[in-house]
Amino acid sequence: MASCTACETTGNVNVCMGQIAMAKGPASLSAVLGSCLGVTLHHSRTKWGILAHVVLPKATGEALLPGKFADIAIPHMLELLKERGAPPSSLVAKIVGGACMFGAGGPIQIGENNIRIAKQILADTGVRIAAEDLRGNSGRRISFDCGTGLITVETIGKTPRTL
Amino acid sequence: MTDVRCPENTELEVLHQLFASATHDASAAMCRWTDGLITLTLDEVREIELEHVCTELNLGDELLTMVVLSLEGDIGGEMILTFDDRNGRQLVASLLRRPLVEEPEWTELEKSALTETGNILGCAYMNALTRLIDHELIPSAPYFIQDYGASVLQQALMAQAMNFDKVLICRTAFHREGEELNWRVLFVPTEAMRKAMEAALHSAP
Repeated sequence: MASCTACETTGNVNVCMGQIAMAKGPASLSAVLGSCLGVTLHHSRTKWGILAHVVLPKATGEALLPGKFADIAIPHMLELLKERGAPPSSLVAKIVGGACMFGAGGPIQIGENNIRIAKQILADTGVRIAAEDLRGNSGRRISFDCGTGLITVETIGKTPRTL
Repeated sequence: MTDVRCPENTELEVLHQLFASATHDASAAMCRWTDGLITLTLDEVREIELEHVCTELNLGDELLTMVVLSLEGDIGGEMILTFDDRNGRQLVASLLRRPLVEEPEWTELEKSALTETGNILGCAYMNALTRLIDHELIPSAPYFIQDYGASVLQQALMAQAMNFDKVLICRTAFHREGEELNWRVLFVPTEAMRKAMEAALHSAP
């Protein structure tokens, strides 16, 4: 596999499609999600948080973007946190997104596949999913507070909610 | 207007020629629809890295009003007509020949006027593409959506993102009496559509 890295950052950083970013509280990470999936992992003791902006469920070949595929992104995120003293069993995951932006139907349900694969990998690796805000047909803007592990989810026309 | 063609890249160059021709047809249709008020020019045809596409196209967490038209089948793609709210309402006001209304909610009549604009543009592009690639294209009904621009673009990019880390995007600019408007048409072809377009251009006399 080619280089597959995440950026470590401070302050508030926007995580774009296919990227992974990692930060320590009180920094925060944000993303705008449609059919893409935001997968966050948080370690409450060290206050490390990591966010992947997952585009597709499974890689079929080489992956140059670390967060593009759920099956590559999540193991990579776990490895990065483990290197910082946060083993998988002590992490809390939250997942957001997976909308079907152009209404229901169609043969390719990427959002749904992203959700299914991400949940399966998290279960297989023993990471608990503490909260989720999934599906629908609207975009979401999320802000992940690495200090508290809380995620603010904004959807057009709705009151923001905290996970 | 910026034209970000790369002269060394023959593939993008031929796609640029194709879309310039399709945009000419779409501009004529738009000119008729708006009584000569609005014209279009091809802004750019370019490949952008997936992770930078929203930043490069300036589509982030701004609320946009969009009309989405899908070309269904393998040789397909997504066409997205985007406006900020004010520009969308200005278009509707001129189409309905009434003063600008700035209510938070869009009425069914306003949505219909905007959707029809997307339909006219989409059909003009589709007719030009059909002539060039000699393949029947099947359009979906246009779909009105108000959301974050980035969230809508994500879904349009999926077909290309499955195979590539870079995506091809064609972007069109709109003008009213020579002044550029904050409207865009983005066309995101599938890989099969892109190959069909390239093949058609290479085989042209």
